[in-house]
Amino acid sequence: MIFEQLMGNIVQGLILGAVYGMATMGLSLIFGVLKVVNVGHGAFVMVGAFITLFFFNTLGLNPLFAIPAAFAVGLAIGLLFYHTAIKRLLNAPELATLLATFSAGVLLEESIKLIFGSEFRGYNWDIGNIDLGFTALPVSKLYACLGSVLIALLLYIWFNRTRAGTAMRSVVEDSEGARVCGVNVQGAYAMSFAIGIGLTVASGVLLTMFIPVGINPYMGGGYTLKAFVIAVLGGLASPYGAFFGGLVFGFIENTSYTLFAFLPGVEPFALTRFLSFMILLIILLIRPTGIIKAK
Amino acid sequence: MNSKLKKYYPLLPVLVAYLILFLVGRNVTGIWQLVSTLLFYCALGQAFNIFLGMTGYVDFGYVAFLGVGTYGMATAVTGLAGYEGLGVGVIVIGFALAVIMATLLSMAVGAVALRLRGAYFAIATIGVNEGFRYLIEGANLWNGSSGMIFTAELNQILGRDLAGRVMTFWADILVLIIAVAAAVVTLLYMNSKIGYALTALREDEDAAKVMGIHVTKFKIIAFITSASFAGMVGAASWALKTPYVFPPEVFEIHYTIEAIIIVMLGGAGTLLGPLVGALIYGVSKYYLSIFLPGFQLFIFALVIIVIIVLFPEGVVGVFKGKVRNNRLKQFIL
Repeated sequence: MIFEQLMGNIVQGLILGAVYGMATMGLSLIFGVLKVVNVGHGAFVMVGAFITLFFFNTLGLNPLFAIPAAFAVGLAIGLLFYHTAIKRLLNAPELATLLATFSAGVLLEESIKLIFGSEFRGYNWDIGNIDLGFTALPVSKLYACLGSVLIALLLYIWFNRTRAGTAMRSVVEDSEGARVCGVNVQGAYAMSFAIGIGLTVASGVLLTMFIPVGINPYMGGGYTLKAFVIAVLGGLASPYGAFFGGLVFGFIENTSYTLFAFLPGVEPFALTRFLSFMILLIILLIRPTGIIKAK
Repeated sequence: MNSKLKKYYPLLPVLVAYLILFLVGRNVTGIWQLVSTLLFYCALGQAFNIFLGMTGYVDFGYVAFLGVGTYGMATAVTGLAGYEGLGVGVIVIGFALAVIMATLLSMAVGAVALRLRGAYFAIATIGVNEGFRYLIEGANLWNGSSGMIFTAELNQILGRDLAGRVMTFWADILVLIIAVAAAVVTLLYMNSKIGYALTALREDEDAAKVMGIHVTKFKIIAFITSASFAGMVGAASWALKTPYVFPPEVFEIHYTIEAIIIVMLGGAGTLLGPLVGALIYGVSKYYLSIFLPGFQLFIFALVIIVIIVLFPEGVVGVFKGKVRNNRLKQFIL
């Protein structure tokens, strides 16, 4: 019984974790290349969730089609934000980019609130379950997991096999050297920022498969916190570290929820969220450069 | 003698502004509500500025200090309601408790976060308010998510008349006193070694370290000072004005956003900035809520981005540049 429940936790946790990991890659990419922390991260996730709603409820399309659309919207928002604000702040004190990304998040939340209102919404995409014996897996979650792994792989290929991707890595290694070799450093920055935001918005689509009724303009705060826990687990500057951090975090979150439920007189949901904050502080205390080492 | 006194000239416009605000509030009918909101924003801005303005570090979980301050006052009022004859003493104990709790929380957060630089610091603080809220709700501390309502206890301690006066008037006066005290402390810091050390570390932390400045120590001083003022603001403006406390309300990130807007609008690291920022923000928010309800934060988020990109020194910072060769100079800091 306990064993079955634990197996269920591991599987469910890893599936959620893969999506968490993908949802954090954009954050890590932007920090890795530009040394900018996107404090408004959760708001970009929220935009992806609303794009999913639009695809499913308004257009009547499969939510998976929302992924490329969300990525494109994210690219556009990212480019716009980079060229209007971030570009001018790269040499300013860190305070400037922190407050700018934070305010951009607030701006997105308020825009969505003005358009769609602030009540909770949702959609119901029920395409059956797969029974594993110890736990039942909704197929939609499985798709979300596969989609995340696929996107992570595409990013890997793009970084290692394309000219633009290798140019971007050269900028991370040594931006002066890259400039000397004829790499368009400004372009690489803009591209990384846009792709980072694109990934984050696209991850919002995948995350809705886990919270079909919890979509609202202010849903992002929790994801910002989780993304930071995951990013720091994976070393903050590494998108792949973030992906593995996500797997670990998904497992911790799922298991701790089950364990807290055994304690009398507590609310397991709230304690799980407190735990994620404590994990963040502990990692920052013992090893701010990350627990998981991935190149 | 004269030059010693001159150091305190910049306090003059601050005090005059608060006096005018108070007199307007007392003498124009129906405006006290607005003045009370403005005083809250002033106190919030002055307290937040001690940390953000002087160190250049952003604490995204700042509202947590107001939250624990509110709980400090709530604990004192509910816990001591049974003791006869303490009267106003309970309020004093409440403030002490608010400061102690905010200080303890800031020491705990600071111990982890202040050893970290810039971006990592911001990341460490971003979950403090949520984390603390979920600890209270999850572990059922202080009644957990049901919160605490202590109007009856406040009435019992102070008597119905005085309790009513506290909620509608004296709490605001306490907020005003806290705002002035925070401004005075800001100036004292600016004129002392602490201010010089913080300026050095804000401009270039590595260089400051090399020059032998114990940067962590000064960051912690600024952090704890700022946090204890925030605790007092929470105790006065939230616990005493509206004698109830619910975790989702007092740990709402909205107030951190407002603190950032106020300080950046007015001018981070200036003495007058938070006051100017609070007045501009408070008054325009008031009118926006009448003429463009729902658009307030949308507009201010845009304003903040514009300020960061174009005028990072804020209104007072720009003004300070204008009066550099002027006799006004000695009054603006």
